[in-house]
Amino acid sequence: MKNIVAAEKKKTTNKYLYLFAFLPFVILVLLYELVPLFMLIIDSFGSDADSSILFTLENYKKIFTTVGYQKSITNSLKITFISTLVGMIVAFLGAKSAHTSRGKCRSIFMTVLNMTSNFAGVPLAFAYMILLGNFGVITQIANLYGIEFIQNFDLYSSKGLILMYIYFQIPLSTLLLIPAFNGVRREWQEANMLLGGRESTFWFKVGIPVLLPSIFGTISVLFANALCAYATAYALLMNNFKLLPLDISASFTGDIASKPKFGAALSVVMMVIMCAVILIDNYIVKKTTTWKTR
Amino acid sequence: MNKKSKALSNVFMICVIVWLLLPLAATLVYSLFRNWTEIVPKGFSFNSYITIFSNPRFISALYQTVLLCIIPIIITIIVVLLALFVVTVYFPKLEKYVQLLCMIPYTIQGVILSVSILSVYGKAGGFFGNRMVMLIGAYCIIILPHIYQGIRNSMHAVNMNMLIEAAEMLGASRLYAFFRVIVPNIITGITVSSLLAVGILFGDYVIIRNLSSGGTINMQIYLYQAMKRSTDESSAVIVVIMLLTFAITALVLYLQSKSKLEKIQKEGR
Repeated sequence: MKNIVAAEKKKTTNKYLYLFAFLPFVILVLLYELVPLFMLIIDSFGSDADSSILFTLENYKKIFTTVGYQKSITNSLKITFISTLVGMIVAFLGAKSAHTSRGKCRSIFMTVLNMTSNFAGVPLAFAYMILLGNFGVITQIANLYGIEFIQNFDLYSSKGLILMYIYFQIPLSTLLLIPAFNGVRREWQEANMLLGGRESTFWFKVGIPVLLPSIFGTISVLFANALCAYATAYALLMNNFKLLPLDISASFTGDIASKPKFGAALSVVMMVIMCAVILIDNYIVKKTTTWKTR
Repeated sequence: MNKKSKALSNVFMICVIVWLLLPLAATLVYSLFRNWTEIVPKGFSFNSYITIFSNPRFISALYQTVLLCIIPIIITIIVVLLALFVVTVYFPKLEKYVQLLCMIPYTIQGVILSVSILSVYGKAGGFFGNRMVMLIGAYCIIILPHIYQGIRNSMHAVNMNMLIEAAEMLGASRLYAFFRVIVPNIITGITVSSLLAVGILFGDYVIIRNLSSGGTINMQIYLYQAMKRSTDESSAVIVVIMLLTFAITALVLYLQSKSKLEKIQKEGR
């Protein structure tokens, strides 16, 4: 009996001994994720001008009252919304097409999506400059034949950014949505047809409602992807455009004077936007999946 | 499914394929021709490739990129494997916290992560103030969600708890069972997720820009600097980057299809 108790005791101490194996994870996450984030939030209430001030809302006040920073937030939101929306529509149609077709076209489509899913940032900006920049190939052709809408297109503006953001959203969103379409059963489509429904009736009444959770899950990934994208915009426009990630980075490593406390406040604003989108998304996903448990 | 909708699907897919491949094709053509101001490019040559491969700075950037991919991935895999072993076997209650911690980097992404690490350790001296250490730490965190999901999904797929119990009944310790039974079983999953992580680190620009002091450069930084010098050179750099990423993607797809094939064969037996 005594032996058993001793063995049991040994087993429990052994169990806690295993926490040592858990330690590297805790250290890594603490040092490079939690402490920096926590300090960033604390810093955002500090002041760059006077380091003795520990709590002030001055930075936030400045962000929401300065026209330049308001512009950054609206620009970021505008580009993110439009690129996410267009990316989602193309992804839906693309995933639907991949679901319908089962031929060679589908496998090429999948390969191209996988290939281009990493094509973003500096390379993407450069490729678009070759195509649509001031001396770009398409621009030259447009000049030659007098195609006005391309001639008037200014790549170095929010329009150009939207075009590039849409480009990198498409492979990601389509790859995320394709597996979800396996949940749309062919039997349902056939049943709809037998009952005299059109294809559009099926998609609006059955297909899209079934896919809604996946659609909203994908939206939050796309939103984060576009809102936090830095390299694409920086490579195209450097710091000559008002955009949240550009402003944040510039206030830490800027050429003129670094304003880390102010940059921290900007980062917090961006995180709050992100969290709000994720919360709204989760709420909608919850609402749209109730039919499954009913 | 009628023929018309199938044809429409194919047309739509072809349109997307063309739209996605257009920038890639343009860059490739640009890197191979000296002169492309009219519709037909002129002056075919491999000069720009010869230029970059004879530049020691490019070779060093290539070397540093590879190093900066491998070290964080190895660290993260070991750390996550150990943590998931302890959590799933001994402390299942902790699992949801581990998951939460691993998913936070998804929402903060490169810009915020790099500036927050910079503001904490930027002025610190010694080990933590070392730019290389900061960079590797940031890279470990940015790939954490992908490595975590890859390992956890494959652990679920092999039914880890049952396998460990079976090994224990045969007299093995849990730790031995984990590293000799579980890890070999999920090695494909680990490889796939680490290759995806390579793709992410390969394309990183913002973290290395904010955290490195200038001495360390990767391919993306080199590319950015090359863009200011010559467009021919930078298009060749992009083609090299793309070829490397394609090789990684092809390897991922191959491994995934192979593991699927194995599964089908096993179930068919």
